[in-house]
Order: sequence, then structure tokens, then C-alpha cells
Amino acid sequence: MQQTLSTSVANASPLKSVLQRFPFVPALIILIALVALNGFFQPRSLSFGSITGLFSTYLALMLLAVAQTYVVFSSDIDLSAGSIVSLVNVVIIVLMEKWGGGGLTVIAACLVGILTGLACGVVNGIMIAGLRLQAIVATFATSIFFTGLALYVLPVAGTPAPEAYWLTYGGTYFGIPFIFYVVAAVAIILGVLARMRLTTQMLAVGDDAMAAFQTGLPVTMIRIKGYVLCGLFSALAALCITGDTASGDPLVGSKMTLYSVAAVVLGGSALSGGAGTVTGSLIGALIIGLINSLVFFVGTPSEWQNLVQGLAILIALMAGILVSRGGRA
Amino acid sequence: MKKSAMFALTTVAAMAVSVFSTHAEDFKIGLSNGWVGSEWRTQMIDEAKAAAEAWKAKGVNVEVVVQSANVDVPGQIAHVRNFMSQGVNAIIINPNSPTAFDPIFKQAKQQDILVIATDAEVSSKDATYVGIDQKAWGAAGAKWLAETLGGKGNVVAINGVAGHPANEMRVAGYKEVFGQYPDIKVVNEVNANWDQAQGQQAMQNLLATYPDISGVWVQDGMAAGAWKSIIDAKKQSSIAATGEIRKDFIDIWKSDKLNSGASVNPPGVMASALNVAVLMLQGKELKEPATAGQYGNAMYLPIPFIDNKNLDEAANAVDGKPGYYSYTSQLSIEDAEKLFK
Repeated sequence: MQQTLSTSVANASPLKSVLQRFPFVPALIILIALVALNGFFQPRSLSFGSITGLFSTYLALMLLAVAQTYVVFSSDIDLSAGSIVSLVNVVIIVLMEKWGGGGLTVIAACLVGILTGLACGVVNGIMIAGLRLQAIVATFATSIFFTGLALYVLPVAGTPAPEAYWLTYGGTYFGIPFIFYVVAAVAIILGVLARMRLTTQMLAVGDDAMAAFQTGLPVTMIRIKGYVLCGLFSALAALCITGDTASGDPLVGSKMTLYSVAAVVLGGSALSGGAGTVTGSLIGALIIGLINSLVFFVGTPSEWQNLVQGLAILIALMAGILVSRGGRA
Repeated sequence: MKKSAMFALTTVAAMAVSVFSTHAEDFKIGLSNGWVGSEWRTQMIDEAKAAAEAWKAKGVNVEVVVQSANVDVPGQIAHVRNFMSQGVNAIIINPNSPTAFDPIFKQAKQQDILVIATDAEVSSKDATYVGIDQKAWGAAGAKWLAETLGGKGNVVAINGVAGHPANEMRVAGYKEVFGQYPDIKVVNEVNANWDQAQGQQAMQNLLATYPDISGVWVQDGMAAGAWKSIIDAKKQSSIAATGEIRKDFIDIWKSDKLNSGASVNPPGVMASALNVAVLMLQGKELKEPATAGQYGNAMYLPIPFIDNKNLDEAANAVDGKPGYYSYTSQLSIEDAEKLFK
């Protein structure tokens, strides 16, 4: 892999070398175009309040896309990511309710929620990397299992989050909305992770698991770590969704799973593994959000909205591929 | 004399209202629907659009903007944000979650936007629910079934999606009713996820397991599937089961003389909610404040019931419509006005 990388950089066009180093550039161009289009059709969508709202709503999907990216890196997939979101959501809601909802108990509940996410990741990792079950089917099964657990913890949607929790999430500190602090913190964590050896190892496993194994990499352990990271970021996504929705809902995340996969692909990562960036996935999640808004702002009749939304996502995918091909030619 | 004076007065009043309204009464209402998996939802939106159109005759210009697509909860929160960006006067929402919209509705209220939920109740204090009581809906079908069976027999229930609020309320409704009939035994309850094919499959399994059941409590489109299994097993003479409200089923019900009864959750609920919303936007106040339901913010609409006594009327009402068309009813503008001071 290193070999091909160095030879191709040597005789590459400028576009090609940019794409080599930043595979998310096509996604970024699409994102900028979408922001411009949204602003053109509804100028108020570019107001500070609206942008804050966009992040507040889609931060959960962005984090879930990141979660998905870490398993896609090593050519795995996690169809249970959305169910982990649901499970963590109801766990922290029920705990905050039981423990009284004060400041410290809120933090304790969040920690338990994160541990829950990690545990789900470990279960998935052992199932897939340890027991060699097919990722797509095994995580489909665990998604049903986690949803069942969530329904056991909280049988029906309800139970408000303590105000301390969601007022913080929706609040503004020193003139900056709280969520932008979250965005900054996430960016730092992702920056650190991207520089860790683990990311390269996961990509190497996704590129060619056999080769990685033969060079002495602990492939099973690396894949398990990918699932654990996925569980961790799914849990963080759940913390965000709890902040934005202020309540428990045992089915809240179920529909988000495939959106997270779509965001990963839109962001320029290969589902076959071995190539991709978390930055791209973050952008991919925002693209999905902006497409949904744009479909409305251009005034699409309601009966066509699903169709247009699907087409727009397809066009975004194609545009990304065309730009990448242009770089390769 | 008196009469003509009255007439003159009302005419003047009407003119005054219409003159006033052409100047001031332009309302923009956002409709949000987060799931497009059934024709019922499409019909719901279409009826609401038609209801908005009908206000023109009253000199009120109601513009509706619609967001209807399969979205997750954050996606539907984005619907609300988009409406806020666009500057609507009111938002009518068929919500994907009962509780998840509390913060965003609070923000909408702060912008003086009226928020009305329909079809599924929401916990937000900043919203009003205009729709049917799902628990009473479930209870009505159970009451019909219990009475049809003469208060005794083995009954099975086929439910929708576990954990879905409307499903849980409907289940609570039938449990309460069956609890009042000591000789009615609910021998099994299964979930078929509001899917017609799964409903049919579930019924087949139940018929095989319990040859002696005499009653089936089943909801919505699953009823058509369950009835298909009952007919295939040639048990339609010995089993009474709840039905549903689409024309296809009503036709079979009538031609095969099924022993059925159906609570109606009319797709017209959103149109009803729109009529209430416009009156609220006009600054009118409800005679009885909307404080019903578990969240204390609900205004319940009447629930029609179809059984063999009024089946012909229902069949006439949907005559000539496509097979997926649901029997409907809505609060007309006049009916809605009666609820206000």
C-alpha cells in the first residue's frame, strides 16, 4: 500500500495529489454547493441561529457517521449503531430519572451510557472478529437484540430528561452555543485518533486483511477495537440526541443506521475498507442534513419529496465519484 | 322586522369580517409528516391541503407548506427548524416521537409559532394535540368484540410496533375493556409491526396454535391480512375480528358478510387540526381549554365506529374511490367554530 502511494504521488497531477491526501475534498465541494443553494432559496437558513440549529440537529448523525467509519475502515459494517444510540439514550434517561437529575448524577449517568456503548461495541467485536460471524448479518441480529434491551429498559417513549441536561446542550456560554464546544472537543479527539497507529492499522486490515495478518498485525484485536470505537461514538451520538430531544425513546436511533452508512460513503470512504477519513463522514452527515432542507426550501411538492431527496443523494454520490475519477485520470 | 334587522346586522358583520380578512388574514401553516409508508398519510396531507383551500370561501388565505418524507427523529426536528426559518404562523405535525420535540417546540413557541400535533400525542407543554384518543380507539374495538362474543370466549390480539406510543395506548385500551369481562380470556398477544403480510402470517400461526379462538383484536392494515388468513382457514363463520377502514377491506367485509367492527382513525385528523389552528391564529379561544390526555394538552376528536349496522353507509362513503382510500371524517370549519368562544 505504501508502495503504490509513493509511486503514484511522484507522477501525479495536482488534483490527484490533493485527492490522495484529502479524499474528502469532493464531499467538501458538494457541501459548499449545498450551503450556497440553501442560502439562495432561503436566505434565513444561513443565519447564525439556523446554522446552530443545523449542527444541534445533525451532530448526532455526524457522530454516528464517525462511529460507522471506524468499522468501515477495516471493511466491516455495523448495522446496530442506531440501536446502540437508542439503548444508550434510554439508559441515561432512566438513570438520570432514578438518581434525581442533579449535576453530578447527570454526569454519572452519561458515564454509564458511554460504558454501555463500549460494552455493545465489545459484544459486536467478539461476535464478528472473534467468532468470525458475517458483520452485516451479525450486527443486524445484535441491532434487534439491543433494541429489545432498550425496550426492556424503557418500554415506551417518554420520561423527560432533567432540564439541567438539555438546557446545557441547547444553551450558550460566553456568546458561543454549547454545541460548538462539543464540535471543537470532537474535532480534537478525532485529530488525535487520526494520528494514532490504530487508524493506520484499521485501514491496513481493510485494505488486505490477509496481508496485514502476514505482516504480523493482530487483525482480530484491531477489528474488535474498531467495533469498540464504534460503540463509543454511538454512545456520544446518543448523548447529543438526548440533548436535542430531551427525552427517552427506545426506537429513536433505529432509522439513523443506514443514514450513517450513507454519510460514510458520501464522505468518500470505501465500504470495501482500506480508504477513508472521518472528516469525510462528518461532511457526509451534513450533506444529508442540507439535502433534506434544500428539498423543502426549493418548494418540492410533498408527494415528490422522498423521490427528490433520494435523487439528490444519488447525485451527490455520483458527483463525488466523478471528481475522484477526474483526479485519477 | 326584527328578522330583517338581524339579517342586516349579520350581513354587515359578515362584510366587515370579510373586508377585514382580505387585509389581514393571511396565514402560513407548515405541515410535517415524518413517515410516508402508507396511503393513509398521503390522504391525511391531501385532506389537510383541501381544508386549507376551503378557508378561501371564508376570506381567509391559508397557505400550506409541506414537508413529508421518511425521516428519523432528528430529521423531523429539522423539519420544524426549516419551518421556523421560513417564518410560518403555525406548525401541524404528525410526530415520530412523543417526547423528542419538547426543546424545539419551546423554541417555536418563543418565536410565536403555534404548534399542533395530530395523530400521535406529544408531551410538550408548548403544543396542543388535536386528534383521536388512541386508548379510546383501542377500547372501542375491544368493547365491540366483547359484546359480539356475548362476553365470553378465547381472544387473541395482534398488535403493531412494540414501544410505539400509539400501539401501547391502544393495547392499554383493549386490556382495560377485556378486564371488565371475566369470561373473556386473552390467550396470546403478538406484534406484527402494522404490516399487512406480517398480520396475515401471525394469524396463520395463531389459528394453528389455538383452534378454539372465537375473537381477534387486530389493528389497521394488519386486519386485512388477519382476515385473509381467517377466510383461507374457512373460519369466518366462527370468528369475530376487528376490521379496518380502507375501501378494499370494506368491500370484502360487505360481500363476504364478515363479522367485523372497526374503530376509525380518520386521515382527516390533520384537516381537523388545521381548522382548529386557523381559528386559534385568528385569536379565538377554546370554550374548554385543551387539557385532556396524559400530557394535559389534548383536544380529542370523536371516533367514528363501523360495524354491520352502518357498514352500508361506510361503503357508500368510499364508493368510487381507489382501493387504498380510507373511510374518513373531519371537523368542518363550522364544527370547529362551535368549539370556540
